[in-house]
Amino acid sequence: MSANPKPYGLLAEFDNTADVLHAAEKVRTAGFRNWDVYMPFPIHGMDKAMGLKNSKVGWFSFVGGAIGYTTGMLMIWWMNAVDYKLMIGGKPMFSPNAAFPPSYELTILFGSFGAILGMLFLNRLPRLNHPLLKHKRFGLASHDKFYVVIETADPKYSESETRKLLEAAGSKRIEMVED
Amino acid sequence: MSQQDDFSNDDPLPPPPLDLSKWRTLPGKLIGIGGLITVVGFLFSWQHDGMVNFGFSWLVAFMFFLSLGLGALFLVLAHHLFDAGWSVATRRLCEHMASLLFPWLAMLFIPIALLAPRIYSWMGPALQKNPDHALHAKFPLFTTSGFYIVAVACFAVWWLLTNRLKFWSLKQDETGSAECTQKMRLHSYWGIWLFAFTLTFGAIMWMKAVQYQWFSTMYGVQYFAGSVWLTLATIYVITMFLDRQRVLSDVLHEHQFYFLGSLLFAFTVFYAYVSFSQYFIIWNANMPEETFWYVVREKGTWFYVGLVIVFGHFFMPFLALLRIDVKSNFALMIPIAAWAWLMHFVDMTFNILPAQFKDGFPFAWVWLPLGIMAFMGGLLAQVFIKKFASASPYPKKDPRLIEAMGLYHPVATQISGGELDQADTRHGAPVQPKGGH
Repeated sequence: MSANPKPYGLLAEFDNTADVLHAAEKVRTAGFRNWDVYMPFPIHGMDKAMGLKNSKVGWFSFVGGAIGYTTGMLMIWWMNAVDYKLMIGGKPMFSPNAAFPPSYELTILFGSFGAILGMLFLNRLPRLNHPLLKHKRFGLASHDKFYVVIETADPKYSESETRKLLEAAGSKRIEMVED
Repeated sequence: MSQQDDFSNDDPLPPPPLDLSKWRTLPGKLIGIGGLITVVGFLFSWQHDGMVNFGFSWLVAFMFFLSLGLGALFLVLAHHLFDAGWSVATRRLCEHMASLLFPWLAMLFIPIALLAPRIYSWMGPALQKNPDHALHAKFPLFTTSGFYIVAVACFAVWWLLTNRLKFWSLKQDETGSAECTQKMRLHSYWGIWLFAFTLTFGAIMWMKAVQYQWFSTMYGVQYFAGSVWLTLATIYVITMFLDRQRVLSDVLHEHQFYFLGSLLFAFTVFYAYVSFSQYFIIWNANMPEETFWYVVREKGTWFYVGLVIVFGHFFMPFLALLRIDVKSNFALMIPIAAWAWLMHFVDMTFNILPAQFKDGFPFAWVWLPLGIMAFMGGLLAQVFIKKFASASPYPKKDPRLIEAMGLYHPVATQISGGELDQADTRHGAPVQPKGGH
């Protein structure tokens, strides 16, 4: 821990889902980018309130699946028709139809790899620590409190203005979290 | 409508029947044009290859329409064996279609019987005298007399079965006696067994036998699955037109279309399951005496025909029929049914023609099976329409008819088979028939 801690962001606590939902709408309308909402359970409509778009994980799964299918087909073709040719059962050395089931399995496997690695990459995981975890009250985010955190790194951030915005949104407890 | 119903005011008036008078001559035209193509093809094939290509083309068309007869027979048998209620409304159609098996499809079989020694290489005198092992193992079935005995036996069973089922069904139209239902159930009981045997024999002796060396226990099931699939699509469209023409409207309610669509969906999956199993097991078992059948079908354009079947016979209809509302959406079901006809034709060519055309799909010859199909289709449609006009369009005194109409639900619960009726939006009001007055 450094002796001279940098500010990480403003943490605003809310007591119920309606308040935090409206606060999220306000923060989104104000045009912030580096911010997030923490809650003990999923709140319906929060994605829309925060202006979140569809997750990009699907693209990672698709690319993973495509790589898996290609790998399967090429692997079976190379092993059976190039590297170690064996005439079995009067069949051609390579048949895409017969190679389909294992290639399909690799599609699923690599597709799920793509999904989980893409999810980790997009979330910037794994990481060992996060500034919010040091905060004493933040643990209540998994109990009965709701938090909106706006990072100081946001271009629109200004200590007094942002604090005012969160107060206006109805938060009774706003604290600075340090890195 | 005597029953007061708050919701019926919103229903738009049913559209008037379509004017189909222009279409009346279509079967006749098909017979004419198809017959002409058939004669030209016959002469052409006589000159070129000793009627072999003609025989194969006729076989493709015959097996296609045999599917309709057998599929309809199965639907009738299944109806009686399950003591079904909803399918009473469409049963008369199936009875007429099944009765095409004899004498009409039997007559259409005659060219195959005559050309058999040219179509089936194993029937030649050389192989019959000195059979190879693959043929010898199939004696006495794969002998000339075996072939004709099987054919006669199959058509005899189909005649007896369709004749009895239709006889008692028509008799019930007059007497309304429960005895008729019991008789039909009795005939269905023995009938389903002989149906399974004769269909399998037919598929093996007439279709699989073009490559006699091959063997597959799944083959009859695959032909059965494709046949019922085709028949359901056909019955769906015919029922839909008869509903539109106000012929069946009194006995139909929406669920019949949903049920037919669901069965079509089920048979889409069943066909895919059976044909994939057959391929997967045979290919991976690595026995040359089996794999050759599929090796031939990977050569040339046959490979792509196989892909057309994988995607067109399974994936496309599967995905198209997946949603619940599609099954009763006529604008979508008509193209799907037409597609089923095309796919079953491709399936028949894929099963039969590689024996004769080893290099790939015979695009140069495709006009001949299509012409013969036009001829057979026109002829059978003509007969079917005549049969349909000769009797009540539905079994009018069947004890289960009121269930088909959706007017009587003794125990309409989720487990009793009345599941959808009870979930009707009319909140417990009796479901009204769609019909006019």
